[in-house]
Amino acid sequence: MHPEKNNSSAFEPKIIAFVCTWCTYAGADLAGTSRMQYPSNVRVLKFPCTGRIDPVFILKAFQQGADGVLVSGCHPGDCHYIAGNFHARRRFAAFRKLLEFVGVDLQRLQFSWVSAAEGGKWVDVVTDLTETVRALGPMTEFKELALEEQWSGALTTPELKEAYLQI
Amino acid sequence: MSRIGVFVCHCGENISRTVDVERVAAHAATLPGVACATEYKYMCSDPGQTLLKKAISEQRLTHVVVAACSPRMHERTFRKAVEGAGLNPYLCEMANIREHCSWVHEDREEATAKACDIVGMMVERTKKNRVLPAITVPVTKRSLVIGGGIAGIQAALDIADAGHEVVLVEREPSIGGHMAQLSETFPTLDCSQCIMTPKMVDVANHPKITLYTYSEIELVEGYIGNFQVTVRKRARSVNERTCTGCGVCMTKCPQKKIPNKFDQNIGMRTAIYVPFPQAVPNTPVIDRENCTKFKTGKCGVCQKVCGPGAVDFEQQDTLIVEAVGAIVVATGFDLYSISEKPKGSPIKGYGEFGHGKIPDVIDGMTFERLASASGPTGGKIVRPSDGREPKQIVFIQCIGSRAREKGISYCSKVCCMYTAKHTMLYHHKVHDGQAYVFFMDARTPGKSYDEFWRRSIEEEEAVYIRGMVSRLYQKGDKIVVMGSDIAVGVQVEIEADMVVLATAVQPQQGADLLAQKLGISYDKYNFYSEAHAKLRPVECATAGIFLAGACQGPKDIPETVSQASAAAAKVMTLFSKDRLEREPIVARVREAGCVGCFACKKVCAYGAVEEKEIRDRQGNLLRVVASVNPGVCAGCGTCQATCPSKCVELDGYTDEQIVAMIEAL
Amino acid sequence: MNNTIDISHYAAIADSIRAEAARILEQGVVTAVVAYTTGRRAGSVQPVIITAAAEAERLTFTAASVNNLAVYLTKAKKDIPRSGRIGIVVKGCDLKALVGLMGESQLQRDQLYLIGIPCAGVLASTVRPAEALIAATLAPKCRECDAHLPEGCDYVPAVSLPSAPTLEPSYAAEIARLEALTPAERWAYWKEQFAKCIKCYACRQVCPFCFCEQCLCDRNKPQMVDTTPRPAGNTAWHIVRAMHLAGRCAGCAECERVCPMDIPLNLLNRKMAKELKELFDYEAGFAVHEKGPLNSFMEKDDQSFIK
Repeated sequence: MHPEKNNSSAFEPKIIAFVCTWCTYAGADLAGTSRMQYPSNVRVLKFPCTGRIDPVFILKAFQQGADGVLVSGCHPGDCHYIAGNFHARRRFAAFRKLLEFVGVDLQRLQFSWVSAAEGGKWVDVVTDLTETVRALGPMTEFKELALEEQWSGALTTPELKEAYLQI
Repeated sequence: MSRIGVFVCHCGENISRTVDVERVAAHAATLPGVACATEYKYMCSDPGQTLLKKAISEQRLTHVVVAACSPRMHERTFRKAVEGAGLNPYLCEMANIREHCSWVHEDREEATAKACDIVGMMVERTKKNRVLPAITVPVTKRSLVIGGGIAGIQAALDIADAGHEVVLVEREPSIGGHMAQLSETFPTLDCSQCIMTPKMVDVANHPKITLYTYSEIELVEGYIGNFQVTVRKRARSVNERTCTGCGVCMTKCPQKKIPNKFDQNIGMRTAIYVPFPQAVPNTPVIDRENCTKFKTGKCGVCQKVCGPGAVDFEQQDTLIVEAVGAIVVATGFDLYSISEKPKGSPIKGYGEFGHGKIPDVIDGMTFERLASASGPTGGKIVRPSDGREPKQIVFIQCIGSRAREKGISYCSKVCCMYTAKHTMLYHHKVHDGQAYVFFMDARTPGKSYDEFWRRSIEEEEAVYIRGMVSRLYQKGDKIVVMGSDIAVGVQVEIEADMVVLATAVQPQQGADLLAQKLGISYDKYNFYSEAHAKLRPVECATAGIFLAGACQGPKDIPETVSQASAAAAKVMTLFSKDRLEREPIVARVREAGCVGCFACKKVCAYGAVEEKEIRDRQGNLLRVVASVNPGVCAGCGTCQATCPSKCVELDGYTDEQIVAMIEAL
Repeated sequence: MNNTIDISHYAAIADSIRAEAARILEQGVVTAVVAYTTGRRAGSVQPVIITAAAEAERLTFTAASVNNLAVYLTKAKKDIPRSGRIGIVVKGCDLKALVGLMGESQLQRDQLYLIGIPCAGVLASTVRPAEALIAATLAPKCRECDAHLPEGCDYVPAVSLPSAPTLEPSYAAEIARLEALTPAERWAYWKEQFAKCIKCYACRQVCPFCFCEQCLCDRNKPQMVDTTPRPAGNTAWHIVRAMHLAGRCAGCAECERVCPMDIPLNLLNRKMAKELKELFDYEAGFAVHEKGPLNSFMEKDDQSFIK
């Protein structure tokens, strides 16, 4: 399927999935019991509800070297906790706009609703994200940032220039 | 320093076939904080659990990670085992290397690497696990049963007979459900109403059962042991307490031509009616849409003739709040209507069969009403169009069922058997008639079922044709059925007088909306999902809610009754204790850091967050902070994600645990 | 074209503030007034809290009255129950912050006596406080101000607001410029900006909404955000900060003003405000919202980004 996979130097994306236990985790379980196949790149973190998923975790995942992040929970109306997914939906609608604005490619951040009955959808979502990220290549931004020690020193504003000249 | 024990399960070969379990164990042994790592063929087995317990005491383990199947499968098992060895159960976690790894990846290298990662992640998480003391909540020993068909009736009677109060809610004016509509039942051909109506009467007379008919569930709040359910009791327009059920109102009602849903709309009823003579309760309902009094303001005959003065046009819907500890959902099924596509249904229509246009093409339930001695024809099988006895009758199976291209892939399970029954009923009543059945496969597992099906062919002379029908059309007063006999490989054309379609069994309309009120999951067809397909088939994943009957999937009567009794047994088990231990996965507020912005309170769907005043010794108010009521908290953690300073924390899913997992990757 | 902003009414405002502050202190309406006073450098202005009517004569209001005084209330709020009602001088943008704080249960309206300023604008920077207020020296937030006249105050000086020249909104233009870039270009831009950060947390200190007792970013169990002033930790800090202010920040732009490294912090805040307006039709204004946009929801909220 992926001839490049056999090449040990080929890029294998690291995908971190934050999922709720009631719907998507169960959907992923169903994919397992149905013996569906999907790329092994994904690592699943279980949460009680998408409402528990803090945007900081997504940031943290990227900083830890994730090439793609998936957040998945119950369809609207199906939340085991009445409305956790509705709160999450708003939170992530805003957060992705922020990440986009600071220059994160949103193709690396996927949100989905996968119910306990949608093993097939889980497979599709994970496969799509893995392949999208594989095509994009490694997420280097945060990794490079982590290696940098300090500011470049470029005087980007008139005030800074002026302050510098006065030293 | 933690001393973690890692136990990697082979799951027979389910895991070890694709995951090198020895390597996973060896990898785990190298992780800081891991005191021992081992693998075993079946960790969940008795020797496996013994091994685990032994290791805990011998190795003085502080935490345990079991790398095996999904926690949804065996987390309880292992937490119990860990508890048995003297550790707090919440110090044990599972690493899912089966459903999320060995079963979904073929490449052994990749799967093993992933399993190592998953174990590593769970080891890091587990290090941060804290002892969580058990939380107990009181149990209200009353049960709600939703749906008054055979499933709901059986469950209600079983629970009530055990001495617990039951609230039974039925949407229709009478209990009885679909079973009350049936003529005879397979494989014994005993009369459905003869076995059903005594049970209905038992429900009505049971001192422990409160029956709400013509009522629906409005709102469900609370949690296992402590639900508050609001029931909307629709206005019946007849006072149930004073009505004697004499039925004079119905005989005098001038509106007599309203299709009766109970008779599949082939029989007629009045505007004030009971759906069938044996209805329980035997109190009529005024169908306000069709009642002249409600439409025009004139008439009121029923009120004038009612001796006890029970007719009340002013009656309003009432909302009743019931406190219950357990809920049995038994909302049953409906037949797929091929004449009209239900709103929002993903299922494509069956226009080619002409149902709804050709009057003598009917569905199985309509045939039941025709064959029923208490039905609109008094048990005479006649054509709806002209009342003639059909001499050639064609039954077509799998209409909707097992047709992926039409949107339903499942087998409706009961149609093979009821069609065989129909051919018999037909043959008993129309001695010179001929029944044909188009079928794909005959599915007859069940006690005496195959014998029954064979009898319809061998003794009752039904002709079974293996193949599907491509088209039906009206020709004169006949219906031409065009199909193929794939066993012989020829085209078949039958000029039939009547066609009966075995339409698919589907969940009731609105099943999804009820599920959303209850907070239970359902599949893409709206059948309710059980907690585990094999080991927890009557429980919902939502604690305290149980399933009975066809709302969970197509079922015949004995299966439905078994499941209803099983659900009742689960309820009784729940009620056997005065207090119930619940998962201590609840949020806690770190009051020292809380600034009282109450964002947590705003997002809490359960109202579990309260405002707490902190006062000094003199009683002066210092500040107001958030406080979580652990009895009400459901443990979703939305509050924590919302709290800007993370001063509310969800036990079991703390930031420390989650960050440890992310950092392990 | 004359770019001068007419602030001739500020002298009258200052007189009114002095008179009103003296009156409310004198009559015991309030126990303290948070306002502006003259600083040591020529033309400079600094915040002050006065508790006696006699001190009222020290108060002033000029184009250098840039500070959002609301921040002093978030710090002082614990004392209010004991000290009693407090008077505060607010510009429109400051009032929006106070209103936000009321929505978040940090302050109650009846604890405050609001002296509203019909504000024509303030300086961008206090480096040269005596500078004339012209388009070039005007704070960028004032270019797009929609709240010259604060609403619902207890007292507003009876002066008429001079007409102001229409200026192009600079934040909107800059947001549009950045949005048009590729993600990589935007990343490069912000990377450079965030890299400058020295983690002095002046932005946090000056922000009325950063009222947490314990900041998430200071936590070390677990460490959610790297606390060192290196590019990685800086980026995380600024992202978390912007996210925590989303749907709350009313645009006083104090963070940007106090930043010693000139990081365009309000740009992030304005971007989030713009998004929340588009997504949820939410805007910080003069009305107290019971719930903010990120702790409420509607069933029909946009989910086009969700698979």
